[in-house]
Amino acid sequence: MSTINGSYSDNTPSTTPAGLPAKQNVAPVKAVDTQSVLKRLQSELMSLMMSGDPGISAFPEEDNIFNWKGTIHGSNETVFEGTEYKLALSFPADYPFKPPKVKFETGCFHPNVDVFGNICLDILQDKWSSAYDVRTILLSIQSLLGEPNTSSPLNTQAAALWSNQEEYRKMVEKHYKPSTA
Amino acid sequence: MAALDSLTSDSIEEILESWNCFCFSTDALLNGNVEVAVGDKFVSCVHFLCSHHLRSLVEDQFFQSLEVTFETRGASRFWHHFDAYVDGSLLTNEESGLEEVLYKALEELSLVKQCQERTLLMLVHSLQSCRNSMLDKKYSADAERVYLLSKYQLMVSSVLMASLPRQFPAILNQYFKRRLEELSTLMDGSCQEELHDKENMDLDEKRKSFSGVGEMDIDEHYDRKKLSENSLLVKNIGKVVQDLRSLGFTSMTEDAYASAIFLLLKDKVQDLAGDDYRSSVLDSIKVWIQAVPFHFLHALLTYLGDSVCPDSPSSGLKSPLASHPSSFYPGVDTPSEGLIRWKLRLEYFAYETLQDLRIAKLFDIIVDYPDSSPAIEDLKQCLDYTGQHSKLVDSFISALKYRLLTAGASTNDILHQYVSTIKALKTIDPAGIFLEAVGEPIRDYLRGRKDTIKCIVTLLTDGSGGNASSGAAGDSLLEELNRDEENQENINLDDDFNVDDKQSWLNAQRWEPDPVEADPLKGSRNRRKVDVLGMVVGIIGSKDQLVNEYRVMLAEKLLNKSDYDIDSEIRTLELLKIHFGESSMQKCEIMLNDLIDSKRTNNNIKKTIPKPSLAEGEVEKSEFSLDALAATIISSNFWPPIQDEPVNLPGSVDELLSDYAKRFHEIKTPRKLLWKKNLGVVKLELQFEEKAVQFSVSPILASIIMQFQDQTRWTAEDLAAAVGVPVDILNRRINFWISKGILSESLGEDTNYHIFSLMEGADSNRTGIHGGSNDEHLMGDEDGDRSLASVEDQLHKEMTVYEKFILGMLTNFGSMALDRIHNTLKMFCVADPQYDKSLQQLQSFLAGLVSEEKLELREGMYVLKK
Repeated sequence: MSTINGSYSDNTPSTTPAGLPAKQNVAPVKAVDTQSVLKRLQSELMSLMMSGDPGISAFPEEDNIFNWKGTIHGSNETVFEGTEYKLALSFPADYPFKPPKVKFETGCFHPNVDVFGNICLDILQDKWSSAYDVRTILLSIQSLLGEPNTSSPLNTQAAALWSNQEEYRKMVEKHYKPSTA
Repeated sequence: MAALDSLTSDSIEEILESWNCFCFSTDALLNGNVEVAVGDKFVSCVHFLCSHHLRSLVEDQFFQSLEVTFETRGASRFWHHFDAYVDGSLLTNEESGLEEVLYKALEELSLVKQCQERTLLMLVHSLQSCRNSMLDKKYSADAERVYLLSKYQLMVSSVLMASLPRQFPAILNQYFKRRLEELSTLMDGSCQEELHDKENMDLDEKRKSFSGVGEMDIDEHYDRKKLSENSLLVKNIGKVVQDLRSLGFTSMTEDAYASAIFLLLKDKVQDLAGDDYRSSVLDSIKVWIQAVPFHFLHALLTYLGDSVCPDSPSSGLKSPLASHPSSFYPGVDTPSEGLIRWKLRLEYFAYETLQDLRIAKLFDIIVDYPDSSPAIEDLKQCLDYTGQHSKLVDSFISALKYRLLTAGASTNDILHQYVSTIKALKTIDPAGIFLEAVGEPIRDYLRGRKDTIKCIVTLLTDGSGGNASSGAAGDSLLEELNRDEENQENINLDDDFNVDDKQSWLNAQRWEPDPVEADPLKGSRNRRKVDVLGMVVGIIGSKDQLVNEYRVMLAEKLLNKSDYDIDSEIRTLELLKIHFGESSMQKCEIMLNDLIDSKRTNNNIKKTIPKPSLAEGEVEKSEFSLDALAATIISSNFWPPIQDEPVNLPGSVDELLSDYAKRFHEIKTPRKLLWKKNLGVVKLELQFEEKAVQFSVSPILASIIMQFQDQTRWTAEDLAAAVGVPVDILNRRINFWISKGILSESLGEDTNYHIFSLMEGADSNRTGIHGGSNDEHLMGDEDGDRSLASVEDQLHKEMTVYEKFILGMLTNFGSMALDRIHNTLKMFCVADPQYDKSLQQLQSFLAGLVSEEKLELREGMYVLKK
């Protein structure tokens, strides 16, 4: 264990200033928190990488572990089959006590996703718990695609069309712009 | 003109007559006619002609006839003697003829020459007397004579040279060679005698150091005796040399005997050096040089009046031996400079020959290094003298590449050779400059081998046990560890800032510059210590890898111990700790401590057992009491990852284990035992009808064979289920019992069913369970039969983590360049297998993924393969 601790303390100074220029003047207590956040995010990344769940993935941006890019494949046998959506995850400094902000970067025709990519998902708002992690968030969003909550839609058109899956599929394809890497 | 004018026809006739007479008498004289009358006639003719101012004509005519006669009578006959040797083979085959022919030819020729010289002198005299009579004082008589004689010399040698047959130099060469060989054998005898005498003399000297005079007598007497022994031989040679020289063959003769000497020297060196590296030959070569060729030269030069080297040698040239002039030059008080030059040439040649010989065989020498150290010492001296170190490096590297660094050589052998090379070259070159150059290819090659680390660790730790082949190398490395321990203290001393002035002064005095051959690009570390262990570890690159491998091997060793005897491991660990530092060996230390604790705990648990409790259980298994069980309790965090293979142990054993665990829990209350049932050793005895065989095997094997206690036939599937392992593992493991002839395998009615059955006692005899087969090798002999994850597996695991990270980032970022992947891994892959690879390693890893069609490389960017 000592070696692991050692590597963290080595790593922190290099990551923190680069990633969080705004946080540099925070109190020492806060700095310790930042360190534990880093630790948490790193271990989440590790478990996400090792879990190998199909169809979901996320990875921190090169210089900032607080901003991640995510990828979700539409589940088979849903109208979203064969699609691939890019997400942006942004973790707050007091993660995991506050949920991360998650947005679709690829346009997504979905009852609970607005035109700006904002997602209406309970666990990302009031139902958030620190027991959730990136992996569960991504899995939740993936299942949200197939099972939208049409009772409180952000995209009413999509909510209305949901009952007609064939038409809906056409709209999904129409809105879907695969990311060009 | 006036003279011509004054000539009358009478006088012309007179002159012509006397000219004819002169020509005739010259021919007669030159043809060996020694009658006084002819001589008188000759003299008078010369007088007469001279008085008529025909002096130059006389001279010319004389030399012309001289030349003609010499050509016909001297040269052609002389060469005729050697006609037989045109064929080179005859030259070497003919045993004794050559010398006689040469002697005879030389004698004849010198006779002719003497006769001609006499005639010439006659001419000179008559010319002189005639000049005296004319009171012509322009020319000094001596100059005249010298001039004519040298003219004659020139004529002789030019005639001989012009008609020189090709084989003559070879003949001379052969002659000198034979003479020298003869002398050499002669001297060899006397040389030994001489050494003997010398010793005696030393003794004498010690005993009665006062009798200086007597000693001198002995010396002189002894020299004379020795000289007389071979003076005849030397005189013969000297005469030949002198004859040849007088014929104008000075340089050719010198070439001939020089090359003969060198040839002989070379043969001698090769003969002495041979393929035996266990003794130093340099000294005996030196003694031989002193005794034979040098002695020969000395005798020859004294015979010839020591004028071989006309140039005055530069006084800067000093033979190493000349620095102490008391060293014996037999028969001479002060060696002439020519002699010293010869000596230098001879010694250099000897050193060079020996050095070339040794360098060519350096590989073999190093193979049996500790025995061959005298040869290495010789080579060092030679190289110090000749300075041809680069020759050594080049030739040795090519020998290495050709003979060692091939697929056929085992890693152990290469390592062994590497260690020997380091040690051997350390003697030649303490600064390690050449070692650097020579070691580089070996290190590069070893890095490419997978089992290098394992072999190194085995070498490091397997000092005591191990098989014979690797035992020697292992010993030496362990020894090296030991020595290092001693050195460590010295180093500490050196590094100490409080070294007293005296010490630092000594250090300063010991400083030596790097050899000039040092590559300035590489040799920045001044006077680095050549540290065998460091260089071996340097192959791997980092000590962490080595420590890791050691941990795995240690774990395996410890787990297979049935007693708790770890003394040798503790010793090795202590040594390693000194070398690699406490902290890196910490985990290993904990492992050893686990063993010590286990021993104690085990004893404590045994004490809690009420003795007569072994009544329960079946009759057959009654020996399974807790006494038979010894647990190794490990702190698994500090041990290498252990592969969990589920195995069902027989019920009674299982009960025993849980009983043990219960007692453990009672003693160490908060802690509980978690059995790793697949690890450890089981000693068991198989009882057949007529005999019993003992085995030490892994639990899974024991478990398999126990199943046959109640039921002698099992299908593979049933047996696998009973033992609790997958069928394929069962099939692999059960081979052990089949190979021992205890089980047999047969196909059932359905070919998919393999049936294993216990061999009957009689059968087992026939298939050969030997009584001595009870000391079985433990598991680990076969690949894949290991209970611990090897370092290789760990590495593979690490790379899998990286692969997942790489795939993860490429999924989200689309395409990335090598640099960015590298940086991202460095940034985020920080947990357990921390990313510590270089850009090159990553690149080759990515290339592997590309070839596995997981990735694609497009214009320098890696993308996922769709």
